[in-house]
Amino acid sequence: MQPTSLSQPNLRTQLRALFVIARKDWKVFWRYPLNAVSNIFQPIIWITPVYFMGKAFSTNGQALGFQAYSGTGDYMSFILLGTILSNFILTVFWGMGYALKNDMDAGVLESNWLTPVSRLLMLVGRTLTSLLTTAITSMVMLVIAALLFGFHPTGNTLAAFLTAIPMLIGLYGFGFAFAALVLLMREANTLVDVSSFLVQGLSGTNFPVQSLPSWLIPVALALPLTYGMDAVRGWILKTNTILPLRVEIALLIVFMFFMLWFGSWIFYRVERQVRTLGTLGQH
Amino acid sequence: METSVTQRSLGQPGLRSDLRALMAVFRREWTIFRRYPSWIIALFIWPLIFPMMYILTARALSGPDGSGLAVFMKTTGASDFIGYIVIGTTVWMWQNIVLWDVGFSLRDEQMRGTLESNWLSPTWRFSYLLGRTGPQVISMFMFITITAIEFGLLFGVRLNGSPWMILLMMLVAIPSIYGLGFAFASLVITVKEANAFVFLLRGLVMIFCGITFPVSLLPGWMQSISKWLPQTYLIHGMRAAAFSNAGLAELASDLIPLLLFGIFWFVVGYFTFLWMERHARKTGAIGQY
Repeated sequence: MQPTSLSQPNLRTQLRALFVIARKDWKVFWRYPLNAVSNIFQPIIWITPVYFMGKAFSTNGQALGFQAYSGTGDYMSFILLGTILSNFILTVFWGMGYALKNDMDAGVLESNWLTPVSRLLMLVGRTLTSLLTTAITSMVMLVIAALLFGFHPTGNTLAAFLTAIPMLIGLYGFGFAFAALVLLMREANTLVDVSSFLVQGLSGTNFPVQSLPSWLIPVALALPLTYGMDAVRGWILKTNTILPLRVEIALLIVFMFFMLWFGSWIFYRVERQVRTLGTLGQH
Repeated sequence: METSVTQRSLGQPGLRSDLRALMAVFRREWTIFRRYPSWIIALFIWPLIFPMMYILTARALSGPDGSGLAVFMKTTGASDFIGYIVIGTTVWMWQNIVLWDVGFSLRDEQMRGTLESNWLSPTWRFSYLLGRTGPQVISMFMFITITAIEFGLLFGVRLNGSPWMILLMMLVAIPSIYGLGFAFASLVITVKEANAFVFLLRGLVMIFCGITFPVSLLPGWMQSISKWLPQTYLIHGMRAAAFSNAGLAELASDLIPLLLFGIFWFVVGYFTFLWMERHARKTGAIGQY
C-alpha cells in the first residue's frame, strides 16, 4: 500500500492539513488565556451603556418605542442576539484576512504558500478554531449577560440555528474576497476597522433597521447580513421581520452560493496577480 | 575684552537641553503623525461613526412616534439627545486614544528597538513621554473640534453655552486623562502585552461614567464607583457647559474634583514613571520585548 502524504494531495491529506492548522491555532489561542477572558467581557462592556440608556427611554421597565419598531420591548435580548451573531460574523468575515496578515508579518506566508494545500482550504482552516472558541466564549458571555441583563428566548432556537448556517457559509465568500484585499493592500487595518464597524452597525446588531433614517435604510437592506440577523431574531424572539421568514431564508441561500463563487473568484485572481508581481512575501 | 560662550549640549544636561530634547521628541512625533494618511480616517470618520451606533440605538428606543425620547429627555434633563450622547462618547474616545497612544508610546519605542539607546542619552527621560503627549493633545483638540463641526453640520447639534467654559473643562481634565496615560505607559513597559488592561480601563469609563445615560440610573454601588472616576465629572461638566449654559459657579462641583484628580493622577503618573525607570534598569527590562 502506497503511503499518502501532502506531496500526493488527495482528500485525506487536505483534511489532515486542515486539522493541523486548526490544532496549531487552538494551541496559540489558549496560550494567551487573557484573550478568552477579554472575548467574554468585551461585548458585555460594550452593551452595558445601551442597557442603561434603554432604561432612560423606558416607562415602568418597558421600552415601548423599541417595541413599536421591532415587535418586542425586550431590547436586551434583541441586542444580545445581535452581539452573538456579530461575534461569528467577525470571526468568519475578517478572521481569514487577519490570519493572512499575521502570517505575512510573521514571515511564514510565502513558505505556507509553497505547500501543496489548497489556498482556500488554508483560509478556511484558520477559521475552524476561531469558530469553536467564538462559540465557547459567546455561550459563556450569554450566560453572564443573561444573569446581568436578562435574556428571554421565546421561539424556535433550532430553526434559528439552521437559518444562520447559510449566512455563515456565505460569509466565507466575503472572507475570501477580503483576504484578497489584504494580499493586495497588505496594510488594511484601518479600512477593516471602519468597514467592520459600519457593516455590523448598519445590519442591525443593536437596533431594528426599520428605525434607521430613511436615507440609510436602502444601505441596510442591501446587506445580506441584515436578513440573517432579522430572520434569527424572528425565530428566537418572534420579532417583526422585514420580509416573510421564508423569503429571508431564500435570500440567504442565494447569497451563500453567490458569495462563495464570487469570493473565491476574486481571491484566485488577486492571488495570481500577487504571485506574478512577487509581492507575496512583502509586508 | 574677550568673552567666551560656553556651548551647552545634550552632553551637558540643563534646563535648556532638556527643553531641546522635549522639542525634538515633539517634532519627531508630529512628523510620524502626519506621515500616515490613516490620521484622516482617525480624525474625520471615527468621531462620526462611533457615537452614531449609540445614536441610532437611541433612535430605535425612541420609537416611531418619539414617545421614548420624551421619557429620555425627562429622565436626563437633556434638550438634545444627540449632543448628550456625543459628549459622553467623545470623552470615552479621548481616554481610549490616550491609553493607546501615550500608554503604548514607550512600548512602541521598545518594539522598534530604540528605547534602550534613547535611555543611554543624557536627557530627561520623562521628556519621551511628554514629547509624545504634545502632538497627541493637539490632535485630540482637532478631533474634538471636528466632532463638534460634523455633528453641528450633519445633525444640527447646537451649543447652548459658552465655548470657553467647554474649553476650560477640557483643559482642567488634561492632567487626569494624561496622568493616567503616563502611569499606564510605565505599567506597559513592565508587563509588555497590556491590551487587556486598556480594555479594562476604558471599560470602566464606558460602564461607570454615564457616556450615554445619567449616572443617577446606576445602582447605588455603581454610583459610588463612578464618583472615583474623573471622566464622570468631565462628562457631566461638559454637558452642563455645552447645553445648559452653566457658568463657573455651576461648574465648580465638576471643576474642583477634576482638578484634584488631575493633581493625583499626574503625581501618580510621574512617580510610577520614576519607579519603572529604576526598576527596568535594575532588571534589564528596557531592552526586552
